[in-house]
Amino acid sequence: MAASIALKTFVGLRHSSQETNSAITLSNPAASPYRRRTQFRISASKSSPRVTGRNLRVAVIGGGPAGGCAAETLAKGGIETFLIERKMDNCKPCGGAIPLCMVGEFDLPLDIIDRRVTKMKMISPSNVAVDIGRTLKPHEYIGMVRREVLDAYLRDRAATAGATVINGLFLKMDLPQSKTAPYVLHYTDYNSKTGGSGEKKTLEVDAIIGADGANSRVAKGINAGDYEYAIAFQERIKIPNEKMKYYEDLAEMYVGDDVSPDFYGWVFPKCDHVAVGTGTVTHKGDIKKLQVATRLRARDKIQGGKIIRVEAHPIPEHPRPRRVLDRVALVGDAAGYVTKCSGEGIYFAAKSGRMCAEAIVEGSENGKRTVDESDLRVYLEKWDKTYWPTYKVLDILQKVFYRSNPAREAFVEMCADEYVQKMTFDSYLYKRVVPGNPLDDLKLAFNTIGSLVRANALTREMEKLNL
Amino acid sequence: MASIGISASIQRACSSQHVTKKVSGNARTKVAGLKLPKEQEHEQPSLTFVNNSSSSSSDQHSQPRFHDARWKNGTWDLNMFVKEGRMDWESVIVAEARRRKFLEVYPQASTNEEPVLFRSSVIPWWAWIRHSHLPEAELLNGRAAMVGFFMAYGVDGLTGLDVVGQTGNVICKAALLLTVVGVLLFRRKEDIGNIKKLADEATYYDKQWQATWQTPKDSEQ
Repeated sequence: MAASIALKTFVGLRHSSQETNSAITLSNPAASPYRRRTQFRISASKSSPRVTGRNLRVAVIGGGPAGGCAAETLAKGGIETFLIERKMDNCKPCGGAIPLCMVGEFDLPLDIIDRRVTKMKMISPSNVAVDIGRTLKPHEYIGMVRREVLDAYLRDRAATAGATVINGLFLKMDLPQSKTAPYVLHYTDYNSKTGGSGEKKTLEVDAIIGADGANSRVAKGINAGDYEYAIAFQERIKIPNEKMKYYEDLAEMYVGDDVSPDFYGWVFPKCDHVAVGTGTVTHKGDIKKLQVATRLRARDKIQGGKIIRVEAHPIPEHPRPRRVLDRVALVGDAAGYVTKCSGEGIYFAAKSGRMCAEAIVEGSENGKRTVDESDLRVYLEKWDKTYWPTYKVLDILQKVFYRSNPAREAFVEMCADEYVQKMTFDSYLYKRVVPGNPLDDLKLAFNTIGSLVRANALTREMEKLNL
Repeated sequence: MASIGISASIQRACSSQHVTKKVSGNARTKVAGLKLPKEQEHEQPSLTFVNNSSSSSSDQHSQPRFHDARWKNGTWDLNMFVKEGRMDWESVIVAEARRRKFLEVYPQASTNEEPVLFRSSVIPWWAWIRHSHLPEAELLNGRAAMVGFFMAYGVDGLTGLDVVGQTGNVICKAALLLTVVGVLLFRRKEDIGNIKKLADEATYYDKQWQATWQTPKDSEQ
C-alpha cells in the first residue's frame, strides 16, 4: 500500500529564503565546530568572590508569569529582588489556557481559573468534527484564566515574599566592564510623585533576568539574536447566552488552509465571552483574511455576537540563538519558549522563570556570592534536558500534520482514537511523556500512516478534478 | 517592532460592530453569477449550488453550499453507490474528493445541526490500492520496462555482454539496484529537491535550540 505521499515541504512555504534566515540567526554554524555542552561546565560559583555587606541584587524585567515566578523564587531565596513591570493592569492578549499541573506546581488558588475546559472539538478542512475529552477523569481540566488576574496574583505573591515591585519601563542597560562590576539599568519610574510621564532613574544590580516578552529589550541589550515568530490575531466576541452555553466547557480548533496555512484557528471560551482567532508564521499579511475565514467556519455558533475587542501579538517559534550572556538570562517568551503545534507559553514561561531563579539562588548560595555565566548555564542545561523532548515532539507533530490539508484531515481522523486522546492529554496536562503500551503504539503508527495515505490519495484525486 | 497591540482605538471602533454573516460581500458575490448546471433531480451525481438563504441573516449573502443527491445527513449513503449489484468504491472515493475540493474552494461553516459523520476509513484498503496505487504502479513499471530493454540493448552493443551475461555481472546488478531505489524515491522531478529540503527541515529545529551552546564563551558585545 505504498501510494506515494507527495510531501509538500514546510520550508518551501516560507516567503523568505531559508538560507538567509539561518545565516542571520545562527552565528556561522559552519565556521565554528559543533561544541559539546561539556565545554561550558565550569563551576565557578564556589570560587566566586563573596558579596560583602549586602545580598546579591537581581533585577527581573517584566512582570508576567515568568517574571512573577522568578521574582518570587529569588526573594524566597534571600536575594534582593527588583521586579520592573511597565503596566500593572496589562490585559495581555493571550489564549489563556493553563495545564492542570500548573495549578499544583505553582500553588494557584482555584478562583483564578475562570473556566474549566474539559471538551475540545477538532474540525478538519472538510468539516469533519471530532470530540476529544472522553478520556479525561472528572478532576482533570484545562484552566482558562484572565492574564491580568494571573499576572497580578503572581506579582503580589512576589512582593509578599520580599521583592520590590517597581512600576516602570525598562529603557536600556549598561553592560559591566569587569566580572564584579554591576549592571546599570535605566528605566522610567511611574511610581514617583512627579506624575504621568514618569521619572528617569537608574538601578545597579548584579544580575538580570529578562522576562519582558516577545519584544524583549533585554534580549536586544545582549544581542540575543532574532527568532521567527507567528502572529496570533484574536477577536473577543460576546455571544448570546444560549450560544455561550455550548461553549461552557468546550473549546474548538479549526484546521485548514482557509483558516491558517501553518497553524490553527480557535474558539476559546473566556470568562463571559469567546475569543475567536487564528495565527500564522508564513502568511502574516493575510491574517485578516484568515480571521474572516475562521469566523465563517464558526458562523452559526457565534451568530449574533458583538466584537468587543481586537488584539494581536507575536508568538516566538523557537528559542533565540543566545539565551544567556554573562549575568543576564532570558526566560519565558523573551527566550522563545513557546511550543510548536499548540502554541503554549504560559506554563513554560512560569517554569523557566522559576528554574532560572533557582539556579541563581543555588549558584550564589542564597545571595552570599556573586554569580557567573556558568551558574546561569546550569539553568539552561536543566531546561533543555527536561523539556527538549516535549518541544521536539510537538515540532514533529506540527511539521507532519499542519503542512497541508490532507495531513490535517488525517490529523483530525487520528484524534478520534481514544489512545491518541489519552496520550495527548496526559502529556499536556502533566507535562510528562508516559510510555504507553508498545502494541498500542504500533497500532497507532499503523493507523497514522493509513490516515495519511488515504488523505493524500484523496488529495491527488482532488487535483484531477476541476470544479 | 512587531508588537501590535491594537486595543483601545479598535475597541472603540468595533464596539458597535455586529457580527452576523462573516464573509465580506464583494469576494463572494461573483459566485452567484456563475452558470452552473442545475440538474438536481437526476440520478447522475452532480454539484449544484444552492444559494444560502438562511433566514436569520440580514446581509445579502450568496455562499454556495455543497449539495449532492447521495450526501445525506452528513455522510455518503453507500446504498446509492451500488452498481450492477456490487459496491462501487471508486465512485465513493471520487465523490468524497469532490466534496473536499468544493469545501476547499468554498469553505463552509461547521454546524452542530448537520455534522459531518463520514470517515474515509469506511472505504476498504483494497479499494484504495485499486484506485490510487495500481495505475501509478503500472505507469512506472511500463517506463522501467522500456528503459530496461533499451539499456540492455545498449550495454550489449557497448560491452558485448548479452542479457544472461549482464545478470551475472556485479556492476550491472549494482546499477540495477540503484535504479530501482532511485525510481522508488524520485518519481517526479520535484522529489529530488523535496527530499533535500526535508532533511534540512528535520534538523533545523534542533539547530535552533543548540544555537545558545554554540556561540563562543567570551562575551561579544
